[in-house]
Amino acid sequence: MSVLKKLSQMFSEPDTQDKKAGETASEVQDPSSSQSPFAEPPPVGRRVIQASVIVGQAEEMNQSDDILIKAEPSRDNGQCKFMVNRPLFEGHSWMFSNFEEAAGSPLAESVFSVDSVETLLIHDSTAVVTKTGAKGLSDWEALAKEVGGVLRKTLEAGTDMVSKDIIAQIPTEEVVRDEIQKVIDTEVNPGVAGHGGKITLTAVTGNTVTIEMGGGCQGCSAADLTLKQGIHSAFRKAVPYVGAIYDETDHAGGLNPYYR
Amino acid sequence: MPKLNRFKIEIETRETGTDLPVHFTINNHKLPLEDAQGGVGPGETFSGGFEIGSFAHSLTLVGPKSGQWDIRKIKVDYDCEHTPPYSVVFGEVTLDETTEVNIWQDPPLPTWDV
Repeated sequence: MSVLKKLSQMFSEPDTQDKKAGETASEVQDPSSSQSPFAEPPPVGRRVIQASVIVGQAEEMNQSDDILIKAEPSRDNGQCKFMVNRPLFEGHSWMFSNFEEAAGSPLAESVFSVDSVETLLIHDSTAVVTKTGAKGLSDWEALAKEVGGVLRKTLEAGTDMVSKDIIAQIPTEEVVRDEIQKVIDTEVNPGVAGHGGKITLTAVTGNTVTIEMGGGCQGCSAADLTLKQGIHSAFRKAVPYVGAIYDETDHAGGLNPYYR
Repeated sequence: MPKLNRFKIEIETRETGTDLPVHFTINNHKLPLEDAQGGVGPGETFSGGFEIGSFAHSLTLVGPKSGQWDIRKIKVDYDCEHTPPYSVVFGEVTLDETTEVNIWQDPPLPTWDV
């Protein structure tokens, strides 16, 4: 029975609904079910919590001696993630915004040698690539194979993936945390306060930061725009050595988003 | 977000169980699970499901009316329109009268070896 039919029955045919409920052996007859649903006491306000999702695929990949690379375009096809069963930049992350920034880093140089690659983000054992003009899944099928090929070739060569200059300029977590917090306090939060929003720095691991968007930003339909064009830009401009920036907001749980 | 035709759920309870029936919410509408089998007592496994036929903006498993419910594992099999069936396994969670746990996951992204 579809949920619409079920709900319709609940409000228009209480007798039918009661009978159906009684047919299910495991259900306990609620004393209030014979009354109008409007007579029930107000429901207890519940909060939605998230349980961890158990993933089996990564374990399977890690057990192999061969270099395995999986390509996974994002839902909007704006970028493609490459998951490798080898570390690319262990414990740290780095954003290569263009070909020039790739100089001296063999991994990035090889990826940027592929036509139409726009940016590259590496973090631990993943690489995220954006390309110019990507609109659909088909745009990634050939390119992903090419990128996978150069990643494998570079890994097989066994050279350092990232230039020593980059490694040398990454400060301690404490410095990253302080600098990012300063940007949040002085630029980002004053900017989103007008929409009732608030950004919280929840974690810093190496030079990788995780934030949470609260208030009017949580569940806001423009949250992705704020994140990519506002927060990312502000962080990277003020703290050039910041690597990956993750948003761990439960946007589905937003109670008062600015834009719905 | 695809249309959710139906889903099946299997719940493994740890040491602290609860009472039947087991309720879920679809887009904030609370309903009992159908085709219920097994139990939600300590160490028991419960299975049920529901024919939704609608878009799941939210899908949650509702905590007990009182007391706690320690869940070891929740496996959900989704049958969505225009999407191959897929399953998601959620790990340990404890529910009570103030909580419900999200059991909706979008279909997995297409992934292939390169």
